[in-house]
Amino acid sequence: MIEQLRETCRRLLDEGSVQVIIGYGDSLPGKPARPLFIRKSEDVDQLTWGPHCLPNLTAYLKRKEVKALGNAAVIVKGCDEKALVVLTKESQVDRASLHVIGMACDGVCAPKCAGCKMRTPRFADEVIGTPSDAEPKAGTRPVTLEDLMAKTPAERWDFWKGEFARCVKCYACRQVCPLCYCERCIADKNRPQEILTSASLTGNFAWHIARAFHLAARCVECGECTRACPAGIPLALLNRALAEQTEESFGYQPGMDPDAEPVFGSWKATDKETFIR
Amino acid sequence: MSAIIHESGLRTLIDGWLASGKLVAAPVEVSGRVLYQRLKSSGEAILESRERPANSIKQFLFPRHQALFRYRLNGKQVELVDSADDTREQIIVAARPCDAASLPVLDHIFNCDCKDAGFDEARQRTTVIALACNSHDEACFCTSVGLGPSSEAGADALLVDLGDSEFEVRVLTDKGRKLFEGRTEPGTREAPALEGPPRKFDAGAVRQFLANGFDNPLWGEESVGCLGCGVCTYTCPVCHCFDMVDEGNAAGGERVRNWDSCQFQMFTQHASGHNPRATQSQRQRQRIYHKFSIYPERFGALLCTGCGNCARNCPAGLGVLRLLEKIDSRVRQQHV
Amino acid sequence: MCNNLYKPDLMEIIQVQRQTPDVKSVRVRFRDPARARAFSFRVGQFGIFSVFGAGESTFNICSSSNWKDYIEFCFRRTGRVTEALWRLERGDTIGFRGPYGNGYPVEAWEGKNLIFIGGGIAMPPIRCAVWYVLENREKYGNVTIVYGARKVADLTFASELDEWSRHARVRVIRTVDPGGETPDWKGEVGLIPHIVERSQISAANSVALVIGPPIMIKYTMPVLDRIGLRDEDIYTSLENRMKCGVGKCGRCNAGHVYVCTDGPVFTMQQLRSIPNDF
Repeated sequence: MIEQLRETCRRLLDEGSVQVIIGYGDSLPGKPARPLFIRKSEDVDQLTWGPHCLPNLTAYLKRKEVKALGNAAVIVKGCDEKALVVLTKESQVDRASLHVIGMACDGVCAPKCAGCKMRTPRFADEVIGTPSDAEPKAGTRPVTLEDLMAKTPAERWDFWKGEFARCVKCYACRQVCPLCYCERCIADKNRPQEILTSASLTGNFAWHIARAFHLAARCVECGECTRACPAGIPLALLNRALAEQTEESFGYQPGMDPDAEPVFGSWKATDKETFIR
Repeated sequence: MSAIIHESGLRTLIDGWLASGKLVAAPVEVSGRVLYQRLKSSGEAILESRERPANSIKQFLFPRHQALFRYRLNGKQVELVDSADDTREQIIVAARPCDAASLPVLDHIFNCDCKDAGFDEARQRTTVIALACNSHDEACFCTSVGLGPSSEAGADALLVDLGDSEFEVRVLTDKGRKLFEGRTEPGTREAPALEGPPRKFDAGAVRQFLANGFDNPLWGEESVGCLGCGVCTYTCPVCHCFDMVDEGNAAGGERVRNWDSCQFQMFTQHASGHNPRATQSQRQRQRIYHKFSIYPERFGALLCTGCGNCARNCPAGLGVLRLLEKIDSRVRQQHV
Repeated sequence: MCNNLYKPDLMEIIQVQRQTPDVKSVRVRFRDPARARAFSFRVGQFGIFSVFGAGESTFNICSSSNWKDYIEFCFRRTGRVTEALWRLERGDTIGFRGPYGNGYPVEAWEGKNLIFIGGGIAMPPIRCAVWYVLENREKYGNVTIVYGARKVADLTFASELDEWSRHARVRVIRTVDPGGETPDWKGEVGLIPHIVERSQISAANSVALVIGPPIMIKYTMPVLDRIGLRDEDIYTSLENRMKCGVGKCGRCNAGHVYVCTDGPVFTMQQLRSIPNDF
C-alpha cells in the first residue's frame, strides 16, 4: 500500500496538477505520525502509512501557510473524510481543486475505531488499498457517554469540574479541529469578552461549552481534540452528547451525506420553532 | 556511606506533610496520563521514573491563572485590594531533574531589574525533591542542553532509585535537610550509573546558526505542520510569557495574570491590526531565538531544560527538538 | 498577592481634551499626594495606563518631565481599553504603572541642533521632547519640527505648534497629505519624506527624532541619509504590543532586545541590529 501511495504522489507532483501533498511521516517511535508537506517528488519516500496515522490532516486545509503552498492533495482515512464533506458544504474547501487520496484503514488504535463502518473513504479521487476482514485496531475510552449519563446531573457537574480544572487553555482542541476555522475565534475577541481567557473554572467551562455548541451538528467526531489535549480531558464526550441529540432531533449525521443540508445552515417549513416563519 | 529511605518511609513522610497542612505535589496518573498534581494522599504519587509527566512544575510557582489584585468600583473612585496570599509550605516530590532545573532558569527573568514578588515568595516556600531518571524516551534531550538524568540544579534533595523500593537521598540544601533530617538510614548500596539520552544536537552549532540564520528558509519549511496551539509553551517547564486582563463587572473585579503563548496568532497583534509575527514560521522562529539566543545572551542560561515535553506533546510531532535537529543537521552538512 | 510590580497607582483625571475626531489627551494626577511628591520620570518614558474592568494599555507620557503635579498621555480610540478611556471624564479614576523604558538621551543631545519629525498620532511622544527642550532652551541649538497627518483634522496639539514657532530658533513645518488640506490651510501639502526633503534642513551638528508609522519611517530614512545624518544620530521610539512593561512577560521581545526595558527609544543604528520582527 505504501508503495502505491508514494507512486501516486510522485505522479501527481510530476504532472504538476498538485504543488503539495499533505500526508503522514514517521515521528518519534511510539508516537502518532506527523504531518508532512511534500513538494518535491523525490521526497515522497518520506511518506508513511500504518496504524500510527492518527492525525486528521484535513485540519491543515484551513491554515493560510498551507494554502500558500498551492494546489494540494490530502491523504484521508474514512473518518477524516467526513470533515471534508462538512468543509465542502460550508464553502471552506473547493472540492474541485483539492485532490483527495483515500486510504483504506485497518484502525489507528483510537477509541473511535471500534465498530468502524468507514474503513474506506467514499468520495476520494482515488483509493489505495482495501480494508482487511479483521476487526479494526481500536482503543478504549476510559469514560463513555453511557457512564456519564448514568450519573446524576450533580455528579456529572462534579465530573466536568474535575476535568476542566486541568485545562490550561492551550487551545490545542481548537487548533487541531478541521472545523474550527474562524479567522478570529470568539475566544480571541474582547469587545465584548464573551469567554474569559483565564484557565479558571468559569473560563474553562465557558470555552468548552461554547466550542461544543459551535460544533453542534458539525463535528464529525474524529477525536483529534481529545488526542491533542495535554491534560487528558475527554472532550469528545461533549461532542458525542450533542451528536446524539442532533441525530435524535434532526435525523442528521454530519459528514455522512454530501447532499444533506446542514442542520444549522438550513431550515424547513416543518421546523418546530415559529420565529423562522 | 549514603542516606537511604524506603519507599514506604517516603510515603509516610508525604502523608505527614499533608496532615500538617502542607501542599504536596507529585506525578500522578490522571485519565491515562501522568501529570504533576497536588496530592490528597501519598498513595497517588508515582515514585518511579517511568513516564515523564506531560506537564511541568512551573504551575506551582507561576500559576496559569493568578489574581494580582482586586478592584472595587464606586462611582469615580476605585479601591485596590491585595489578593490573599497562599502562605502554605509547598513540597514537590519526584520532580524530574529537567523540572527542578527550571527554577534557577526562571529565577533570572522573574528577578532581573525588578523582582516579581509572586514568583519569589512561592519559590521561598517551595522545596523540590527531584527523582533521578533511570529511563528516558525518544523525546528527552536533557543531555543536549547541559543537563542529565541526575542533575541537581534547582533541587533541594535528589532521590536516586536503587531498586527494591529503596532510594538514596542526596540532601542538597537546608530546605532539603529540614525535610529528611532523621528520616533516612545509612546504607552502602551504590547508586547505579545513569545514562541519559544520547545527544540530539550541538547547542554551540545551534547558537552559531542562529547568529546568522534569521532569514534562513528553514523556518518557513519546517513550520508548516505547526497548528499554532499552545501545548509546547504550556507544557514547557520554562516558558513564562503571560498576559494580564481585568475580569469583573460594574461593581469590581480582579486583574489577573494568565499564561500566554508566543505561538498564538494574537500574541503580537496590535490594536491597529498590524501583526509583526503574522505567520506561524515567524512565531516558531521567535520561540527558538528566545530560548537559544536571547535568553542565554542576557542571562547566561538556555531557556530550555531538554525535558522533551514540546516534542512529546505536540499534536503535530514538532516541538523545539525537531527544529533544533534540523538546524544541527544543516550546520553539519555545511561542514561536510 | 502583594506583588507591587503589577499593582498600579490610582490617578485622578483632571482634564480631557479632544485633539482629533478619534484622539484625546488626558491629564492625570496621583490620588496619593506622597506618591505625587516622590514621582519623577525621564522625558520619553512610557506608562501603562488602565481602566479598571477594561484592562491596561501602553502610552508614552507626553508631558514634559519638568512639569510637576500631573502627567499627560494621548490615545486614539481603537480597541477595548481605549474605547473605555474615551468614555471617561474629569474626576474619574484610572490606573498607572511606570515610568518604564529608557527615555530620550537628552543629555547626549545637549549642544546639538534638533530635528523632530512626526506623523499623525506620533506627535505626543515628540511633543514632550519639544517642551523639554524649550524649557532648557540654552542647552540646545536650532529646533526644526516637521509634523504631518493625513488631513488637517488629524493634527494633534495644533495650538501648541503655533506656540512653539514663536520661540527663538524654532522652525515649525506643518503638512497634510495631498487631498487632506482645507481651503484655509496655510501649511505644506505633501507626504512627510517629501516635505523633509523640500525643507532643506541642515544636518550640521544635528540629531533627529523620527516617530511615525513604519512606512513613514522607511521613506524618511533615505532622505535623512542624503542630508548627511548618520544612523547613530537618528532616534525613534518603538510601539510594540506591551503588557508588563518590566521585561518579564515576553511579549515585546524582538531580536535581542526587550522593547520595554532596552527601549522604546532606539537609534537607527540599534534598530538595524534588531531583526524585522516588531
